[in-house]
Amino acid sequence: MSQGYPITIHKEVELRQSSLVLGWSEDGGNLGRKATDYLNRKLKGQEFAEIEPEDFFPFGGVGIRDNLAQFSESKFYACSEHELVVCQSDSPGAEWYKFLNSVLDVAEHCCRVKELYIIGAMVSLSAHTTPRRLLAVVNSAEMKEVLSRYELAIDMDYQTPPGGRPTLNSFLLWMAKGRNILGVTLWVPIPFYLAAMEDAQAQKKVLSFVNERLDLKIDFSDLDQEIREQNEKLALARSRFPQIDDYINRLESNLMLSEEENGELIKKIEDFLREGA
Amino acid sequence: MGIRLYQEPQLENPILVASWPGIGNIGIIAVDTLRRILRAEEFGEIAPWDFFYPKQVLIRKGVLEYLEFPSSKFYFKRAGGKDIIFFIGEEQPTEGGRMYAEGRKAYHMANLVLDVAEKFKCCRVYTSGAAVALIHHTTKPRVWAVPNSESLIPEIRGYRNTVLMSDIEGRGGHGNITGLNGLLLGVAKKRGFEAICLMGEIPVYLQGLPLSYPKASKSVLEVLCRSLEIEVNLDKLDELDQKVERRIEEFYQQIPLEIRGQLDKLKHVAYAQPAEPGPITEEEEKRIMEGVEKFFKKRGEGG
Repeated sequence: MSQGYPITIHKEVELRQSSLVLGWSEDGGNLGRKATDYLNRKLKGQEFAEIEPEDFFPFGGVGIRDNLAQFSESKFYACSEHELVVCQSDSPGAEWYKFLNSVLDVAEHCCRVKELYIIGAMVSLSAHTTPRRLLAVVNSAEMKEVLSRYELAIDMDYQTPPGGRPTLNSFLLWMAKGRNILGVTLWVPIPFYLAAMEDAQAQKKVLSFVNERLDLKIDFSDLDQEIREQNEKLALARSRFPQIDDYINRLESNLMLSEEENGELIKKIEDFLREGA
Repeated sequence: MGIRLYQEPQLENPILVASWPGIGNIGIIAVDTLRRILRAEEFGEIAPWDFFYPKQVLIRKGVLEYLEFPSSKFYFKRAGGKDIIFFIGEEQPTEGGRMYAEGRKAYHMANLVLDVAEKFKCCRVYTSGAAVALIHHTTKPRVWAVPNSESLIPEIRGYRNTVLMSDIEGRGGHGNITGLNGLLLGVAKKRGFEAICLMGEIPVYLQGLPLSYPKASKSVLEVLCRSLEIEVNLDKLDELDQKVERRIEEFYQQIPLEIRGQLDKLKHVAYAQPAEPGPITEEEEKRIMEGVEKFFKKRGEGG
């Protein structure tokens, strides 16, 4: 362990050659949180470590989610039967290098992690009826080769535009490379009008890959049911509100909406889904 | 972690000239221009990880090829019979979305820079930044000099186009220098280095614009070069100034006539003797400041 790094180990875990799946709590479509919650629930993940928050998060009060006060946290769960470690964390607001080193310290020294899978959501201007894709960015040619047999798009070219900054996922991926941990960020495009809500299809897309790659044998019937329900709600919204239907029809025809129309669609869908359809 | 020196040049009581970005990038343009003109050689850096978030990623065919961080580099050159160490910080290490460095990281960074100064037995430190002043953009900016030791004041009084804080009307010798360009001066004092911060004046109505102000960088550089007893050709800086001047003029013409009329009075400000009465009245000064604030507030509201 790096000296002075604020890690608390609650319980020793016995892992020989594990993989780490990491999701951020505040992701588009709540993808990182929902996907890591799902893995923990299905694979009986046991919390064993956490990163102490004081260096990384502002303490100007608390956030509220689903009526409950929240507190910034970064927790690790072990699914020992599957040689899997799940990390669910809020994104740090400061001391990123120290924070990401802490994540990798737990991964490397407590769990002997060999591969890192980072979940990330991308806001997309497509309709929810467009099949979700899985885009991957790897930290080595070796990892690209390893993942070449899966249904992933690993051909992205990207350079940070002027005034922009790399994502925390790129930062972590780069640091993992420095420790010879094979890593990949799994990006799922999420329809913009679901970005502040949830997107079960996106969850299924990323989880199906993780399931196949790590041979987890997860039964997704409950998630399939969620997808059906979400699709039904969105179909209901379209049938009740011609304006919503018109906007989504246009997106399905690859037509762009104006900024104002985008905003209106987001509001109408969010209102509809929050009111319980 | 910390300082990484690629080589250890043999330097004789060098002078350290350091700068980070700030208002109008006045200091960093001055220092970096001199470094380029003298073709100073890079010899070390401060590792960025503990200070900065990365600034750029390059992904090619799905593979993350590199992540680039803001640089903090040391250079050296012998010129005018003196050894000079340059330090150029590409960004100030900020916390919590602030514009300028402050707190623990800033103090740590300042100390690392001075560790190098100490290692090479630097005899003096210069920093450089901006001084927001009630001047017009067509007038030649002065340089406000702030030393960290009483013994430097007589020397500064001998600099051309340069004033001490006590020479600035209404300041009574007081003020503050935000960020690392100022902090380094203080930390240098604590560690026993004599140091001077040279700040080029920038018109008050330009301080919030995302523009550099090379006219002031030139004023700083003129003072710095005389102090270092070196002669350099500043034509490149003049070219840059002309380009920026055109953009400033475009901006200036957008300022409502009523406020511009007030600002035009600043063209006639001539700071010959600090003790002389100002060429604009206090009432006019107040009106100018109110007009500038009103204009920027309106711009902010209008997006």
